[in-house]
Amino acid sequence: MDAKRNMAKEPQPRVGGTGQLEGPDLESVIERARGHDAEAQAEIYRRYFRRVFGLCRYMLDSREGAEDATSDVFLKLQRSIQSYDGSIPFPRWLLRVAGNQCIDALRRRQRERKVIVEVEEGTAVIEAASSEPSPLGAVVSREEREQVRDTIARLPENYRVPLVLRYYSELSYDEIAQELDLERNYVAALIFRAKQELRRRMARRSK
Amino acid sequence: MECYSEQIVAIAVDGELAVEEAQRLRDHLATCQRCRDLVDALRAENRVLSESLHELPEEAASPASFSSLRWSWGWGDFAILAAVLVLGSIIVPWIDELSIPEALQWLNPFGLNGSTNLIFNLSHYFAHGGTAMLADYAVVVGWLCLLVLLGGSALLVARRGRLRNPGLRLLIVLLALALPSFALDRRHADFVTVAANETVDDTLVAAANVVRVEGVVNGDLVAFGRTVEVRGTIKGDLITCAQRTEVSGTVEGNIYSLAHTLDLSGQVGHSIYGLVQSLHVDDRGNVGEGVVMATGDASFEGAVKRSVNIFISGNADVSGVIGRDLTTFEGGLTLTNTARVGGNLSAGVRRLNDVHIADGATIAGKRDIQVNVRESHFVRPRFYVHQALWLAGAMLVGWLGLLLFPTFFQATTQRVGSGWRCLGLGIGVLAGVPLAMFLAAITLIGLPVSLILLAVYLTAIYLAKIWVGAFLGWMILKPSGATKGDCMLGLLLGLLILTIVGFIPYLGGLVHLGMVCLGLGAFAGQLYRASRPAMTA
Repeated sequence: MDAKRNMAKEPQPRVGGTGQLEGPDLESVIERARGHDAEAQAEIYRRYFRRVFGLCRYMLDSREGAEDATSDVFLKLQRSIQSYDGSIPFPRWLLRVAGNQCIDALRRRQRERKVIVEVEEGTAVIEAASSEPSPLGAVVSREEREQVRDTIARLPENYRVPLVLRYYSELSYDEIAQELDLERNYVAALIFRAKQELRRRMARRSK
Repeated sequence: MECYSEQIVAIAVDGELAVEEAQRLRDHLATCQRCRDLVDALRAENRVLSESLHELPEEAASPASFSSLRWSWGWGDFAILAAVLVLGSIIVPWIDELSIPEALQWLNPFGLNGSTNLIFNLSHYFAHGGTAMLADYAVVVGWLCLLVLLGGSALLVARRGRLRNPGLRLLIVLLALALPSFALDRRHADFVTVAANETVDDTLVAAANVVRVEGVVNGDLVAFGRTVEVRGTIKGDLITCAQRTEVSGTVEGNIYSLAHTLDLSGQVGHSIYGLVQSLHVDDRGNVGEGVVMATGDASFEGAVKRSVNIFISGNADVSGVIGRDLTTFEGGLTLTNTARVGGNLSAGVRRLNDVHIADGATIAGKRDIQVNVRESHFVRPRFYVHQALWLAGAMLVGWLGLLLFPTFFQATTQRVGSGWRCLGLGIGVLAGVPLAMFLAAITLIGLPVSLILLAVYLTAIYLAKIWVGAFLGWMILKPSGATKGDCMLGLLLGLLILTIVGFIPYLGGLVHLGMVCLGLGAFAGQLYRASRPAMTA
């Protein structure tokens, strides 16, 4: 049935198993990197630098901060790669590590344990389905996608961070909740509100 | 069955709904077209989100450029720095030994003689007696700051999308028009003259090779030129930037002059302020109030109704009348038989025989001749008090910066680390802004803009030390956290190091220059980045 097809499980993994999109030798590269092979680590850096930097850039609001965080992720990789057990695809694992690094950076800046503080009770906000079509649905061109990125970058941190972790790092709600030290329901509410805010801002932009 | 809320459907589309709930929703979708449409829309939205985010912004640099950026302060940089220092230590004494004509010595910033150093002259001049002029400046700068605040607020409002572009432009035009609300007459030619029978009712701004006023200017005269001659009357102030300024007529206001020579044989209603190489008030010259001036040589043959405060590097000859006190700093002083000083005479000289007071000279008040033996400033307690005050001031400014604009402050500090790029930009800004100010100053509405730019420029030069100091401290301490306490500790350490290095001859000056350039570059770069959308930069 059409509807059932629509309800196929998401997220669709952008990168599958360890070797699916990243070349057949990724597993061996990881294995060599575990053995402190500098060349293998450099290979990982070359392959994933852009993805990791992109995540850091979205999560932190300065280029310098993003550069530092990216640099830290790869510097610590030598040690942290020992804990990679292959249960999830390597890129996803790496983005999770990078996400943690960014959250740490945000925490340090805010001098608080939590990056996002739950401010309301009753996180599951039940609202009637909106009849208005989302302006995001009409985004097709490269410029429009750039506008979407720009608008996301300007969202408040408590909306931006979960949104990026969900749709860039492709983490599940549970993983995001764990990283941000929040309730799962609250993460769901934040992502929903973030999208609503994004729609509002995009609609205002296009006026 | 009732439709599901949009949030529940969104969670389901994200694949995050519990199994039973998801099954119930699937059953509902089979019968509800509206919810199926919603699912489609949310899926499309997710796809756009994911695609947009995965198309990384262009600034996601390549690993190569990233790594070169990270290690820009490597050995190569130090080698270049060392080469610059060696070259500097060769060039600076060479410039110093060049035979520069005496008349231009005051322009030589490398002059070993502190008294001919332009910057020291100016700062000393402000510190001793330039207060009246400073008070005027303070009022102007206060107004400018207010306007900058208003303009900045308007920009912020506009950036938040509450004021559309046309509205912003209108506001800017209104602000620009509001500033020069007084009338201006602007003339630009090789030879600008106000004829004897001509009256200019407005303030006249003239830029020419020769500016000559034989008639009457009812406002101020702002003149840029090789020669500025006032033979007629200026009812307002005379502001000149010229090689030679000659006033044989009447200026009813003040004279503000930056010139090589200023000759006065006419009347000045109020005071003369300026920085000139040679000042001459001849026996027909009359100053209604006082003279505050930094000058190479000065001669007073005419009359000054109130006090004369001059910072002088050459000699001051007085043969006329000074109504109140005469105070000179640094240079020689000669009073002839005809000289009359109505108040006290204070002179700070280096040698006692730099002062010649003829027996016939009349001094109504006390004579206070102080011989300033140049001792190392390191032995004076005052020096340490000054340094401590400066450091405390810098720390306070740093703390305020961290408190009020934490992100901008920290980002600017980090940007200092981008090294040569920052330094290059800083040199460009350091040299380019004065040029821009000059160009802005000669346009009709540019004068206030130029003054605002000057205020920002001076502030940025001051802040440059703080950013570089904070970065240096941070580099040394490498704090694991980034609390304000860590930042302040780093700032203190960095500033202390910079201050100490600043006292090393030659090297200190170069370090200081480099520091200003780095800080300015970081500030300019960060301002540029802050003015652009964060992700599309």
